Amino acid sequence: MTRYLVRKLITLIVLLFLVSITVFSVLFVLPGDPAEIILGMNATPETLANLRAELGLDRSFIVQYANWIGSLLTGRGSMSINYDVPVYDLILSRLAVTGPLAIFAICFAVVISLPLGIYAARHQNQPGDVIVMFFTQLGLATPEFWLGILLILLFAVKWGLFSAGGFPGWSVSFWGSAKALLLPSFALGVIRASILTRLTRSSMLEVLREDYVRTAWAKGLRERTVVYVHALKNALIPVVTILGLQMGQLMAGAIIIENVYYLPGLGRLVFQAIGQRDLPVVREIVLFMAAAVIFVNFIVDLTYAVLDPRVRLT
Amino acid sequence: MKKLLFILIALTLFLPVQAISASNPVKGGNLVVAQPAEPPGLDPTANTAAAIDRVVWANVFETLVKVDDQGQVLPGLAKEWNVSADGKIYTFSLRAGVKYHNGEPFNAEVAKWNLERAMGPKTVNPHPEYFRVIENIQTPAENTLKITLKDVDALFLVHMAEGDASLLPITGYKDAKSHPIGTGPFKFAKWVRGDRVELTRFDGYWNPELPYLDKVTFRFISDASAQTAALMAGDIDVIGWIGSPESALELAKNKRFKVLDGASTSDMILSTNNKAEPFNNLKVRQAMAHAIDRQMIIDLAMSGFGTPIGSHWSPAAPYYVDMAGTYPYDLEKAKQLLAEAGYPGGFEAVLQVPPKYAYTVRVGEVLVDQFSKIGIRLKMENIEWGQWIKRIFLNKEYQLTIIGHAEAWDIGIYANPKYYFQYDSQEFRDAYAKALKAPNEKEKAKWFGETQRIIARDAVNGFLISSPSLPVMKAEVMGWWKNYPTIALDCTKVWLKK
Repeated sequence: MTRYLVRKLITLIVLLFLVSITVFSVLFVLPGDPAEIILGMNATPETLANLRAELGLDRSFIVQYANWIGSLLTGRGSMSINYDVPVYDLILSRLAVTGPLAIFAICFAVVISLPLGIYAARHQNQPGDVIVMFFTQLGLATPEFWLGILLILLFAVKWGLFSAGGFPGWSVSFWGSAKALLLPSFALGVIRASILTRLTRSSMLEVLREDYVRTAWAKGLRERTVVYVHALKNALIPVVTILGLQMGQLMAGAIIIENVYYLPGLGRLVFQAIGQRDLPVVREIVLFMAAAVIFVNFIVDLTYAVLDPRVRLT
Repeated sequence: MKKLLFILIALTLFLPVQAISASNPVKGGNLVVAQPAEPPGLDPTANTAAAIDRVVWANVFETLVKVDDQGQVLPGLAKEWNVSADGKIYTFSLRAGVKYHNGEPFNAEVAKWNLERAMGPKTVNPHPEYFRVIENIQTPAENTLKITLKDVDALFLVHMAEGDASLLPITGYKDAKSHPIGTGPFKFAKWVRGDRVELTRFDGYWNPELPYLDKVTFRFISDASAQTAALMAGDIDVIGWIGSPESALELAKNKRFKVLDGASTSDMILSTNNKAEPFNNLKVRQAMAHAIDRQMIIDLAMSGFGTPIGSHWSPAAPYYVDMAGTYPYDLEKAKQLLAEAGYPGGFEAVLQVPPKYAYTVRVGEVLVDQFSKIGIRLKMENIEWGQWIKRIFLNKEYQLTIIGHAEAWDIGIYANPKYYFQYDSQEFRDAYAKALKAPNEKEKAKWFGETQRIIARDAVNGFLISSPSLPVMKAEVMGWWKNYPTIALDCTKVWLKK
């Protein structure tokens, strides 16, 4: 276990280093630098030069990269060009929105998909299974933004039960904030649930055909015990893998739904920062995302060991 | 027809309401305003983004003079001013006893410091040229500011009313990007990044009658359908500039809301690279001008809102000359001109549009169809805004693009042959110089009119439409600007009918 942890940690550091070089170079050669965006259609050579000097963009690639890494290693990080606050603070405050949003969405997805997937597998090719499959097909084909708008029109505009978007802030109103995340996380969760339902169903069907399950039936165990104790645990392994991938994807992939509900989340921050060439923000969010994905995969690895004792972490 | 119907509805719905209530504004209340873009910092003297001026200009920061929604120049921090007979010396009498939100006093020395900072060698002001016409600044008394210009500049005064000329406090200016401190009717309270900026009433404002509101919150909602949904759900009170004109049409039918169909300074044009083949040929540009059906653009892309233009000047601004009829819609004439230019079968070209501004894509689609009728086959490509600035605006690597030029009084860009249109005309430069040095209103009107005629005649760009202002709000919001003659969402005199 210790060796496993050390190896994971080394992978993390090497990966982050590679990510940092890649993201820095890509942003360096991207047409349109921060000064050009700031001055926009009023840019003149003189004001551009002044602003580049003020932002430190007139220095060489090596110096700029070294400065950045230096600021990261000393724990200060960089300042956002547009927001004029440390990027570190920005990420934390945005994470307070996107983190719960992703977790709520995954909860919705799991709560919907597991029972439906198991039910469909148990009633393969019967009317119930066909109906479930039909709706998951529909869910896969539904764009998030469309479902998001539909929920707003229904719950906010027509019935006035929710606000149409925005986020009051956890310190201002805890329940208000949780409520603000309900519709967007439902929109995100329903679509992910479609994938998970289908996966649970097929995985379950496969496991139910295994020899040990036949043995369990032969022993005369009750159906509930066979399905929920013996089969489900093994059927969950591919589901957990996809769940881990989805979690990583959700952290950044909530851009669209954050725009529809104008939530101040991480996805919208990075989207806006790319558009405005707020390079320090883009760089550090990409680094953070890379670290988050590696961390989630680590958790997934641990979960395998719990689900299947044959998996050893070495 | 659609537009006529809309105007009728608007008239019957709102005129009586405004007539009754315009007399006695009520104090108090909170206003939530949605605007699509979040400002990149809140210092209007260090960044050109229109989103900054829309939040802080006239609300937090003030200028020597200001404009109202009719484009009239009014007293601002200067209560009056006079100009010497030769037009070169401006003497401003500043308001006495004005304080910044942090308690710093405002006086002539502060104004001088601001102007010198904007024109200095290290300036990051987007428009140093507004200030560089100044030869020297004197402060003969605490509240007297005497500015001597190097030469007569007909636009000096209106430039002093723009966000770039905001007057910041000498010690409090440093954090202006994240904590702006001004003399305006509202003081900065909080910026929840990614969500909103909150401004609260400044009790020490020099005009004790104003502002009427206790609090103004600017929320940043970029998605056009989300803006509309938020207004309908009651989360916001005003959409400062609606992203989808078709929603304005819908909302105008609802008694709870009103839509103000005013003018703005934004001239939407088909920017043309005058140095690139085949657009360096006047006949090609004239042919294209004849092939543009502006009313169809207004109907199809803008849901009937907007005014056709034939030159680069807002119909809302003084000295406007209607040039929309210079090259009337005439496909036969267009084909003939193309043939004369050596392109009897038309040609292919690339039209690049930045989807960040949704209207460019909509208008682009209509134009592609219109030009196909005379054999010009346009390939429309999307381009990201940062790349637009770099490739099209700075490097001029393009043939055609669509964009709204939002700044007021910006016809001077045609005098710069290095500007991205690459239009080079001594005749225009002479006329513009005469307009700037015009000694009186009559001469100003004559020469600014002439500049409009020259670029219309030369068909420098495809002049399309003047964008509508289109603020949409709850029926009880009063005193909102109908026209946007400058880049601003001024809440000073806005109030809520109970």
